[in-house]
Amino acid sequence: MKGDRRFVASMLLPTFFFLICFYAYPTLYNVINSFTDLSLFGMRKGGAWVGFENYWELVTSRDFRNVLWNTIVWLTFIGVSVRIVLGLALAFLLTSRTIRKYRLQTVSRVLLLVPWATPPIVAILIWRWMLDPGVGVINVMLTGSGLVDQPIAFLATAGFVWPALITIITWNTLPLVTLTFMASLQSLPDELIEAGEMDGASRLQLLRFVYLPHLKPAIVVMVLMSTFWTFNNFTYVWLTTGAGPGLYTNVMATEVYIKGFVDGRLGYSSAVGVVMAAIMTAFGLLYLRVIARRELKEVF
Amino acid sequence: MLWCRLAFFAAATMLVSAAHAQTTITFRFNDPEAPQMRQALDEFEKANPDIKVTLQRVSWSEAQQQFLREAAVGAAPDVAQFAFGWPRPFSAAGALRPLDDLIQKTGIGIAGWDQFIAKELAFGADGKIYGIPFTTDTWAMLYNKELLKAAGYDKFPTTWADLRAASKAIMEKTGKAGYGFPAGTCGSPTMWFLTNYYIWSKGWAFVDQQPNGGKYFVNVTPDQIAEAFDYYDSYLKQGHNPKANLSVCLWGAPEIVEGMVSGQAAIASVPDSVGIQIINAFKQRFPDKPVPFAAAPHPADANGSRTHLGGRMLSISQNSKYPEQAWKLIRFLTTPEPTFTKHYTNYVQAQRPVMSYERLPHEIAPGYTDQIKTARSWGPYVLGPVSIQFMWNAVGRAAGSAFIGEKTSKQAAADLHEAISKELAKNQK
Repeated sequence: MKGDRRFVASMLLPTFFFLICFYAYPTLYNVINSFTDLSLFGMRKGGAWVGFENYWELVTSRDFRNVLWNTIVWLTFIGVSVRIVLGLALAFLLTSRTIRKYRLQTVSRVLLLVPWATPPIVAILIWRWMLDPGVGVINVMLTGSGLVDQPIAFLATAGFVWPALITIITWNTLPLVTLTFMASLQSLPDELIEAGEMDGASRLQLLRFVYLPHLKPAIVVMVLMSTFWTFNNFTYVWLTTGAGPGLYTNVMATEVYIKGFVDGRLGYSSAVGVVMAAIMTAFGLLYLRVIARRELKEVF
Repeated sequence: MLWCRLAFFAAATMLVSAAHAQTTITFRFNDPEAPQMRQALDEFEKANPDIKVTLQRVSWSEAQQQFLREAAVGAAPDVAQFAFGWPRPFSAAGALRPLDDLIQKTGIGIAGWDQFIAKELAFGADGKIYGIPFTTDTWAMLYNKELLKAAGYDKFPTTWADLRAASKAIMEKTGKAGYGFPAGTCGSPTMWFLTNYYIWSKGWAFVDQQPNGGKYFVNVTPDQIAEAFDYYDSYLKQGHNPKANLSVCLWGAPEIVEGMVSGQAAIASVPDSVGIQIINAFKQRFPDKPVPFAAAPHPADANGSRTHLGGRMLSISQNSKYPEQAWKLIRFLTTPEPTFTKHYTNYVQAQRPVMSYERLPHEIAPGYTDQIKTARSWGPYVLGPVSIQFMWNAVGRAAGSAFIGEKTSKQAAADLHEAISKELAKNQK
């Protein structure tokens, strides 16, 4: 028994070593930095202790309230909702009898994988070109068809920039959601559907009482994972809009970057990072305890 | 056969030992003319066979933080190209090596250290020299004479109100955009420069210093900032600068260059290097047409026409293991022949004896020459307690918020004023 424990401990040791070096230490270091006025221009001499000053500035800042709104409502809530709803719709479509009847499964799945196989930076560049007011194909089509008189600066107009951004993120990340739902749908026994149909259930009733309960564990996992990925995401927002126009699309991840590496305030930037991590931890705990405990037990 | 092998091994051994004798230094270069700079470096390597130079590329928007991050862990390039305002804060961060001993030992420049311009920006707070001014530039108004003439203007407007009226007339009479400026937001937006030119011409400034080395203060009111935002916003609102330019951030963006070359825009505010780029692109596309461009100073107000005296510096990182070799490279690059005469020809040297805009295309040389006479140093912006990068980002974002209607110009200006005032109060000792 003792030998077993030693063996297990020795096997776990490298994992703990890497976790401490590359996760625990940087996290602790970041938390300490968040209580200092560390500057990009003073990294060698370090920052002076300022207590909760950074956190106080953060919670009293009007701009930070906008950042929170953008991150939680626009980027995460709307972004994830769109992805889940479209992912479900697409999964139903691609596993439908019609697709099977015309033997389109392979083609549709290959096409589905294309956006997923496209690296985010490439996807962003392609979309930026497509949305460009001068040479973008979308504006050419809109002006050519007479729908609009003037090209629209999608990424620089308040009414369009968030929908455009969410479109880009959704295009690039939808395949994973769809594939997960498709895998779950394929594990649904045909007999259940047939039994439902024989009992006279309508399509809506089938969706509500057969499909969705079966898909629930997959939906729970995808919501959780998508929320984490999206909330922390920097790449899409920064490379698409640079957090602009103005600070209209500034989210927490870009705020960390702007404060740390543009304004040079690494201490304040660390505080934003700590708050970001705290929000996600709170969300994860709440989600797991209240909503997903039962469903995740079935999955894991 | 054996002899062949022996000869091969002997040659290989010699090559390996030669490679060992060679020192490799890195040069961080941020301008677009990398191929031309590489040619200059090849000439340097020929003249100094014991030194090999690796050319590293980083965009200007990333260059500052990239260097500081690397310097913090002792991995910065040996020589780096900086903006005029960077050596002072970088030296305070301990990222740069003082150059005083090297200057004293070998001298620098074609007529000595005293003949460099913007020397005050090369000094650290400790009084030591951390940068060698490399090039200088300013911005002027590049305009299409034909479009202006078609709108009824024989001369370029000299006041802000005239420029506004000319833009309107150009749109009404030719259907082309008047003053086509990039109004977009990013980490280093053009609106920073344009806002400064407007407020400087009126005698205001985001940061100024009391006389006789007194305290720094914010020398512009929220209403005055709002006035500048409203001025530029009126071009966008009334369609005299295409709304599409809300998504363009940089002064040399393809949209701005193409707008001028194709004649879709009549006026642009650009540094001389972009002016040259526009003229070259026009000549390439329309070899038989006369160049329709000229340059003129920016509009003036009570304080005259004011742009910034910008430029690049060369510095050696604190962590460089080969400062002597790095210094050799700096001396080579700051000598006109061959760098500026053969390769890096779009730029003007920052040394008085050779600082001339005569090398610019003759169409725009007089305008840029007039403008540089009234250009001002960044002065308090660099030497004062609020970093340029902070203000640059903040001004650009405030302007962007006002342009898209996220905030009113008054609200955006008030927030900006508050942010700069707070930063100044915090950092002023």
